[in-house]
Amino acid sequence: MSESKRRQGAVWLDLDKLEAAEQAPKESARVQEVPLDQVVDIADNEGVELIESPAPRRRRGWKKLFGFSLGAVVVTGVGAELYRLLSWGFSIHLGVGIGFSVLLALLAISGGVQIWRSFKGLRQLRDTERLHDRARELLEHSGQGRSAALLAGLERRYQDQAGHSSVIDAIRELDSAYSDREVVQFLSRHALESQDAAARRCVQRYSVESGVMVALSPWATFDMLLVGWRNLRMLREIAGIYGIAPGAAAQWKLLKSVLHGLAFAGASEMAIDAGSAALGSSLTSTLSARAGQGLGAGLFTARTGLQAQKLCRPLPLERDEGRVFDAVAKGIVQRLGGSK
Amino acid sequence: MGVGRKLKHWIGDERVDLARSRLHEFAEQSTERHLRLAVTGLSQSGKTIFITSLVHHLLHAHRSGSLPFFEVAASGRVVSSRDLSTASEHPFPLRQALAGLSQDPPQWPESTTGLSEVRLAIRYRRPAGLRRVLGETGTLYLDIIDYPGEWLLDLPLLEMSFEQWCEQQTQLFAGEPRAKVAQGWLAQLGEIDWTAPADPAVLRRLADGFASVLQQLRTGPDGLSLLQPGRAVLPGEYAGSELIELFPLMIDHWPSGEVPAGSYLDLLRSRYDQYCEQIIKPFYSRYFSRFDRQIVLVDCLKTLNRGEACFEDMKAALSAILESFNYGRSGFLRRLFAPRIDKVLFASTKADHVTANQHHNLDRFLELIVEEAQRNIRFDGIETRSLALSSIRSTQAAQAQMDGQVLSCLRGISKENGEEVALFPGEVPTELPGADDWNEERFRFIDFAPRRLPLNDLEAKHHIRLDQVLEYMTGDLFR
Repeated sequence: MSESKRRQGAVWLDLDKLEAAEQAPKESARVQEVPLDQVVDIADNEGVELIESPAPRRRRGWKKLFGFSLGAVVVTGVGAELYRLLSWGFSIHLGVGIGFSVLLALLAISGGVQIWRSFKGLRQLRDTERLHDRARELLEHSGQGRSAALLAGLERRYQDQAGHSSVIDAIRELDSAYSDREVVQFLSRHALESQDAAARRCVQRYSVESGVMVALSPWATFDMLLVGWRNLRMLREIAGIYGIAPGAAAQWKLLKSVLHGLAFAGASEMAIDAGSAALGSSLTSTLSARAGQGLGAGLFTARTGLQAQKLCRPLPLERDEGRVFDAVAKGIVQRLGGSK
Repeated sequence: MGVGRKLKHWIGDERVDLARSRLHEFAEQSTERHLRLAVTGLSQSGKTIFITSLVHHLLHAHRSGSLPFFEVAASGRVVSSRDLSTASEHPFPLRQALAGLSQDPPQWPESTTGLSEVRLAIRYRRPAGLRRVLGETGTLYLDIIDYPGEWLLDLPLLEMSFEQWCEQQTQLFAGEPRAKVAQGWLAQLGEIDWTAPADPAVLRRLADGFASVLQQLRTGPDGLSLLQPGRAVLPGEYAGSELIELFPLMIDHWPSGEVPAGSYLDLLRSRYDQYCEQIIKPFYSRYFSRFDRQIVLVDCLKTLNRGEACFEDMKAALSAILESFNYGRSGFLRRLFAPRIDKVLFASTKADHVTANQHHNLDRFLELIVEEAQRNIRFDGIETRSLALSSIRSTQAAQAQMDGQVLSCLRGISKENGEEVALFPGEVPTELPGADDWNEERFRFIDFAPRRLPLNDLEAKHHIRLDQVLEYMTGDLFR
């Protein structure tokens, strides 16, 4: 248990022994002060938190084995093929062999970079998720002194990224009197202001564009491709806005989580959706059926975008989303009205 | 005879005035947003300093960034604000209070002895949305009054007759520490035949005696607050008037039968009625009956320093006071005609006098004090919240190494001797401490002198949670 818990009485202190926690108010020392006295509490908390249910372990074994063996077969197969290619090249002429090896080296290097990037993106996504969970937990907690881990995580995440200095600035501005919930609320409001605005603009733009495209394109299958393509582009852009390296793996994982989120949306989101559908119907009764499809596609894109924003943002999003839907619906109708 | 005079003659002066001011308000409120904020608190709970700091921060809200949790200010939507108090009969002495706080060494404002008003107009940009139709900017008028907390305790008298009041006071004075202090005075009461013709000189002597008993209870070690009548403690403009020569009749045997006219008892009773009619009622109907939102300031640390008697007394005083306000849902029409309080915030002041990790405990302790009142208010369907705040932060958070462990503590200037001290003032208990725990060893919440408050360049570090108070109280009106 925390030792400060034991100390209940009043204590007079010698002035010389003081370490002024707030001597230099703009330094990060002020933030550090919160954790130090209750570090034990956080450790306690983590211990409780990390107890996992052991049930799904068994299934994993087969899956892992399958993945491992598949990987091994592919790697040996490709390796053998490449080796044969190289030896065939050298057997024809030394130049051809060297040409092949240079090509292969280029392939290996560029592939490596790609893999490294996508792993970085994956790691960042995982970090974001962890920060998100922790922040959500702190929002429920009204005491003080547990926010250190979150702050350290945020600082690590955004330290060396250009264009994200607002996060670090907001952390510096935190007041020593804030409780954990207030810390999260403060950061959520003030640390990511510009990013949120950019993300919202991005979602709005892509949604309106894809809505208009669907409404104007004459082929049904083409519509699907268009919406998919726009959505992927949007995901990548939103990830970039929140500082997540846009690798293929990260994008794939993000897409998976977004679709998962959309499929298992909570009741409240359903309600929003129903609302926007009703809005859509009232607006589109004056438009053609095709325009209605466009509106639907636009709203779908907007939902995807918001879901992605939620996943990429390290702190929980507390603002209402109705406004974005309204803006998207209005934007599409306006464009169509203008283009008619 | 003019029409107005005739009307007054028929209906009564007070009602005509009331109706006139209502009409005036109606005209104002239907075009602009208007908020009357009730700042309620016993004496020494920090009302004046709260109002000073609130107004000061609001007047600088358009550029200072000192209110990060106050959405309209943080998002830069405040265009400007203006102090309209000078139009009032008793303007709030903002300038003097600020001058005191910004001088070197800074000083807390003097304790309030009279009534004063603040009126603030805040011009803000409306957010994008439906309300934009009303115009791009809007104005919110914020009315706050400051008054001595002692007078607040008169409000419950309006609901009681003289006999009921005497009975209630008799019960109160049967318990310690009141019984001991009032012993001599109570003995004097017993010597008088209350049905005999009254001698004003005797009554005056007794009233003075009662006033000094109340003073002793107030300044004594227990620092009691449930002291009625309030004007006996702090007469204000009624100093020396016969109206306030009033005391409860606390005798064992109430004289039976008809009360002869002109007797002591008759005179006391009619004085009580006059006191209610001529002092409390105008005060109440003019200032206290038309609030929209309320903040109740409580000094929890005082009860912890003073002990259980003070705690119980403050609890009783707060529940009694809060019963005299109107609570209920306040729709648009209600707000125009008969406003009711639809949001209440309980705040423990002096949050800067404990370390930050004790703020949560301070909230819990505050809930112990206001438990009963809060329950009643919630029963009326009113939203309440409790919060630890500090209008002006007078300490710095610091850390010290003690016996190999890090101890968070406070560093500030003691109000008593003006020297800098560092102190861990003890943990705030989250439940009522037992009899053994009320001692010097466990808590020592000393009073700190204020730190200098700049006249410009306000920052978030100059207060604790003042911005959240504003957001909770007024946030929805700026949307």
